[in-house]
Amino acid sequence: MLTYFARRLLLAVLTTFFISILSFAIIQLPPGDYIDTYIAQLSSSGSAISREEAEALRVQYGLDQPAPVQYLLWMNKIVRGDFGISLEWQRPVSEVIGERLWLTIIVSFAAVMFTWMVALPIGIFSAVKQYSFGDYLATFIGFIGIAIPNFMLGLILMYVGFKYFNMNVGGLFSAEYQSAPWSAAKIGDLMAHLPLPTLVLGFAGMAQLIRIMRANLLDELRKPYVVTARAKGLSEMQVILKYPVRAALNPFASTVGYLLPYVVSGSIIVSLVLGLPTVGPVLLKALIAQDMFLAGTIILLLGLLTVIGTLVSDVLLMWIEPRIRFQIR
Amino acid sequence: MKNKINSVNLLILSFYIMTTATEIAATTSAPEQKVAVATQWQLMWWRFRKHRLGVISAILIILYYLAVVFAEFLSYGEPTESEAQRSLIAPQPIHWLDNGTLSPHVYALVGKRDPATFKRVYQPDPERKIPVRVFAKGYEYKFLGVFPTDVHLLGLEGAPPEEGLYLLGTDQQGRDLWSRLMFGTRTSLTIGLIGVSFSLFLGVLLGGISGLYGGWLDTLIQRLIEILRSIPTIPLWMGLAAAVPNDWSVLQVYFAITIIISLIGWTELARVVRGRFLALREEDFVLAAELAGASQLRIIFRHMVPSFLSHIIAATTLALPAMIISETALSFLGLGLRPPAISWGVLLQDAQNVQSLAISPWLLAAAVPVVIIILAFNFLGDGLRDAADPYGI
Amino acid sequence: MSRKSHMTRRKFLQYSAITGTGLIAVACGAQPTSPPSTPTPVLPPQATGAATAAATAAATKAATSPPAPGANLIGTLEGPTVLTDPAKIPSSFKEAPALAQLVKDGKLPAVKDRLPSEPMVVQPLKEVGKYGGTWRRGFTGPADAENVNRILSADKPLFWDFAGNKIMPSLARDWKVSDDGKTTTLFLRKGVKWSDGKPFTADDWVFWYEDIYLNKDITPTPHPDMTINGKPGVLKKVDDFTVAFEFPEANYLFEDLLAGSTFIGGGQSTRQSTGNAGGGYAPAQYLKQFHAKYAGAEQADKQAKDAKFDSWVTYFKNRIDYGLNPDLPTLGAWHTTQARNTSTFVLERNPYYWVVDSDGNQLPYMDKLQLTLAENLEVLNLRAIGGEYDWQERHTDMQKLPVFIENQQKGNYTVRLDPALNGSDATLHVSQTYSADAEIAKWLRTKEFRQALSMGINRDQLNETFWLGTGKPGNCLPDPSTPFSPGAEWNDKYAKYDANAANALLDKIGLNKKDGDGFRQRTDGKGKLSLDLITVGGQFVPFTKHAEMIREQWRKIGIDANVKELERSLAFQRSKNNENQIMFWANDGSEFLFLFPRHALPVDPAECHMGQAIADWYASGGSQGMEPKDADLRKALDLFRSASGKKRDERVKIAQDIWKLIAENLWTIGTVGRSPAFMGVRIVKNNMGNVPSRQLNAQHGRTPHASLVESVFFKS
Repeated sequence: MLTYFARRLLLAVLTTFFISILSFAIIQLPPGDYIDTYIAQLSSSGSAISREEAEALRVQYGLDQPAPVQYLLWMNKIVRGDFGISLEWQRPVSEVIGERLWLTIIVSFAAVMFTWMVALPIGIFSAVKQYSFGDYLATFIGFIGIAIPNFMLGLILMYVGFKYFNMNVGGLFSAEYQSAPWSAAKIGDLMAHLPLPTLVLGFAGMAQLIRIMRANLLDELRKPYVVTARAKGLSEMQVILKYPVRAALNPFASTVGYLLPYVVSGSIIVSLVLGLPTVGPVLLKALIAQDMFLAGTIILLLGLLTVIGTLVSDVLLMWIEPRIRFQIR
Repeated sequence: MKNKINSVNLLILSFYIMTTATEIAATTSAPEQKVAVATQWQLMWWRFRKHRLGVISAILIILYYLAVVFAEFLSYGEPTESEAQRSLIAPQPIHWLDNGTLSPHVYALVGKRDPATFKRVYQPDPERKIPVRVFAKGYEYKFLGVFPTDVHLLGLEGAPPEEGLYLLGTDQQGRDLWSRLMFGTRTSLTIGLIGVSFSLFLGVLLGGISGLYGGWLDTLIQRLIEILRSIPTIPLWMGLAAAVPNDWSVLQVYFAITIIISLIGWTELARVVRGRFLALREEDFVLAAELAGASQLRIIFRHMVPSFLSHIIAATTLALPAMIISETALSFLGLGLRPPAISWGVLLQDAQNVQSLAISPWLLAAAVPVVIIILAFNFLGDGLRDAADPYGI
Repeated sequence: MSRKSHMTRRKFLQYSAITGTGLIAVACGAQPTSPPSTPTPVLPPQATGAATAAATAAATKAATSPPAPGANLIGTLEGPTVLTDPAKIPSSFKEAPALAQLVKDGKLPAVKDRLPSEPMVVQPLKEVGKYGGTWRRGFTGPADAENVNRILSADKPLFWDFAGNKIMPSLARDWKVSDDGKTTTLFLRKGVKWSDGKPFTADDWVFWYEDIYLNKDITPTPHPDMTINGKPGVLKKVDDFTVAFEFPEANYLFEDLLAGSTFIGGGQSTRQSTGNAGGGYAPAQYLKQFHAKYAGAEQADKQAKDAKFDSWVTYFKNRIDYGLNPDLPTLGAWHTTQARNTSTFVLERNPYYWVVDSDGNQLPYMDKLQLTLAENLEVLNLRAIGGEYDWQERHTDMQKLPVFIENQQKGNYTVRLDPALNGSDATLHVSQTYSADAEIAKWLRTKEFRQALSMGINRDQLNETFWLGTGKPGNCLPDPSTPFSPGAEWNDKYAKYDANAANALLDKIGLNKKDGDGFRQRTDGKGKLSLDLITVGGQFVPFTKHAEMIREQWRKIGIDANVKELERSLAFQRSKNNENQIMFWANDGSEFLFLFPRHALPVDPAECHMGQAIADWYASGGSQGMEPKDADLRKALDLFRSASGKKRDERVKIAQDIWKLIAENLWTIGTVGRSPAFMGVRIVKNNMGNVPSRQLNAQHGRTPHASLVESVFFKS
């Protein structure tokens, strides 16, 4: 048990190391660097820098070094808890991400809650009433979410909200609360802005959840103890809710760990369309601008979250499911 | 030799099953007996038929792939030909009756820009009726890429060149949306298919190795999968797509994009395959085959693969819609196929703006076939998976 | 007689002529059916009388022909004026209520003491406004500095009048060009103060010159603006409020540079933000603490490291950026209180702003300028449509014009179109230095080939589809109303769609073999001739779609093309490496040829899409790059080089000659321009006052600064 855990931990560290290399490689893949982006940006404002200035900038930012050296320099900083400076935002990376991370977590949490609240009943229903009209209808509704490209759903809902419900356009706050300190009114404003992203994001993950719930429950329903329960004269409702649903929920516990990174990376496009002040749009812009420290840190962070999540859920699963413990030789 | 005969038998059998499926279903005089002697595929088919959405979906998917093959025939306007004076025409109603007789026709349109609202407005002219015909003559193309022809399923008869048929309306550049959709379907569904095949290849190969040999190979592959899955897909796409040499032609980019999508998509399939191999390794019939002295290859392909092929088919079916959605998302990010290529992603990207929602909502119609096919693939996949489950009811 | 007084007299004539045409335009505007299709902002300086007659003719013509699309949305060019008559300086001054309160509390000196003895006096466009309100705008992130830079452009030494023709004082109260053209002197306003209350003097100019411009770490190479024919000029302090720029050769152009959006004349806000280090002056007292020379290299580096910057240079460049450093003393109407690299960029009124209205009220009228971050342009535009912005001309999308108009009432705003003066928004820059494919390179350098390509473009189609009919089809030449235009007849040269002529021309130059699909074949037997059109997405106009349409049109002249959309920085990088064949980019700014030539001629190595190597050759005086073989191009470059040392009248003549050469040779092929597509779709709330019905939309006009937005106010 302990050795398993130790081995698992070691592997996680190794994986993280490879993820850091891969994140760095991803940023280095596109031709050019941030200075090229910067030159193009300057040009659209009518100014420009000379070749010598561009070279001087590369030296200042360490972009003149070969990629492996740049990677080592980056890692050296990261290990010391310094994520570097975002070239585009001209602020420490931790600050740029920091203010957005909390909002990302709030939005993701709301979306996950929404998904669960809708998907679980649908999953249960369609397992119990397999192949009924209701099963088809419920599954159909649940599946619409993965079928409509969510960037389009986001724009449509945003436009409808603006046109027919006089909602603010995009974002998570009205302009007056955008930079205001936290207060009851600001929280209220956030609450008023949450439903739209929650809906769009939550819809996308619904099908997966319905599918798992339905399959798990179908498996459980076939088991002898269900027959026993029926035989003992429990009502159908009790028969289903008492044990099978609980048992079917077990695997969910194990996925909790990496829900967050999953939703965060799934929400990048939606955040962009809806103009949410989350890490998604920042990551996209950073990738396009080749703002390497910012992009690298976010990718690494998401990767790390996934690794930790997997680790946590593996351990959790072992805790919950004694059978798995047996398989570890 | 024996192998070959068996597979021929299997083929004949499955053909028999297909054709007489309804018969079998109707004559359930001795169901017990039938189940006892039925092959795995037969059982699967019986179970699959119960999944009505799955069956409908299968039919729909076949129809879609017909559109892939016959895109030119089904379209009636050249998909890239733009004309400012036909910009943003709303879907054109077809009038079926002419003086009481069945004679489908459309009205000629006179368009101009309203100087006050800046919208393009089109006035139908009921005096100028243009008949709509099937198998009409249109632009020239090569049927199935071989036979030159100019016959299209639909078309206008004797229309002046400035008039056209606009079943789903036109886009900003005055190109017929229906025709563009046909070509977009071709591109996007082939991307899906090629991508999935590539994923399948990688997934089965790596998943198989992983499940079969275990040990350090397994660990290595599992780590690779874990790392790939830990990196958010979008940065991965962006990095890879940006690495595509920029002097590649549209066709080359198309293949590159397909491969990029599948490079990330194979992990799920590999997981399924590995899990199956792991489970089957312990099965008695594998042990029996081993004891009987069968070679490893024979065990894999003769005994193990057939027993989980159905699962792979189901998993593949479920991977296809993800590929299609990925293609549209890549286009949205400006990384995927770009105009002048036509794909669903490109068409959706054209509609992804405020003015389309406000003044030309018909451009959103490009999303409808996408939604339908993705639902269809999902339902088909679900149906197949249910059917492939040996413990299914 | 000084050069300047001569200028002023001539300018005065020119100016009165504009006013005259303006009146005619207004008279026509009174008739509801015939609004002036193109108000004439600028007239050729030599022919004032004739031009007025021509304008009258144009106005009568407008009365008979149907109005051009958008005519009802295009008003008369107008704007506030800077009063230069000393008698017009108000004797008493008033201030915003919030500032009055601070003065009362003893936290701020009295308004009289905050203002210079010779403040800049603005005659508001319509009325004296009232104080208050927050101006809400949208911006797209830290890279969108230009959004506010433009608004703060009063911190330029000199500027133009609202029509963009006549140089007006700004931060400097006056200027003088010596007769030999070698010295330009700036006379500063006495008593101007930085936003922290410290005096602004000639020492701030000297600090910039000696410690920023001449510091090799901050500015590695001399800037062309500060040189004449490769020889450097110097900045000298004459007295506390006078500085002089001295050049070894005549540099009559320099006063234009001081007024233009240039390295030297761009002002602190624009030229010291986003890593730039131009602008001519800087707050010496504040900045010395970050400069290695004053703080010591070690201390300066340590401060930078503490702030997580790599070196004192990167930190210094961060500290001089008004949008990133709220502590930086500035001279603009508003001062940063929340930095640009956050989700809301907020600026509040500068209590030391040195500009007053004609009644003596210290400007700006509006208290605050607040920009909310829009993560993408659709969100920004939808917010504008929803009336969430008070005045927005930047990032508003031409393609959404019908939606803007449709929601005018709901959003309580008015849409106005401000057509620009440059010839072409989507311009095909044909590389003269591309070499990877010898055959293609040869044709790109053949004049007749470019002429045929140009005649193969159906510009009316493009205009109707993408400019909704509001642009003007033509080549890349500027609007005939601008002084540098060689005349309206030149705008259509090789710019009328004529497939027959194009085909004949292509046949004539030897591209007469075609394949089964009708595409012309290469002469080296390697299949069909296929050109690459490089576009960049996400710009003010959809270049990729333009290219797609042109590709279709070229099929009719047998020319095949591949459209390739690249990421902006990559496309630019390829231009730098002479790898692009034909690149789509705008030619905005080219209407003022000498201030911003880079989109008209290959002269600026910092950005050149029609032949980087030639620009290198030009800028280095022949020591680098590639000498152009094309005699006409050589001639154009020689003409351009000679212009700096020439007086204004001669310069105008030279510019016209250059444009004639460009029209004939088409190193850049224009399509549709003189349109509102770039920053010309202006959404302004109905409760705002002193809003011009049309404002100058030009690079040197710093749109919307030509409207002096500090004099715009909220009526309610």
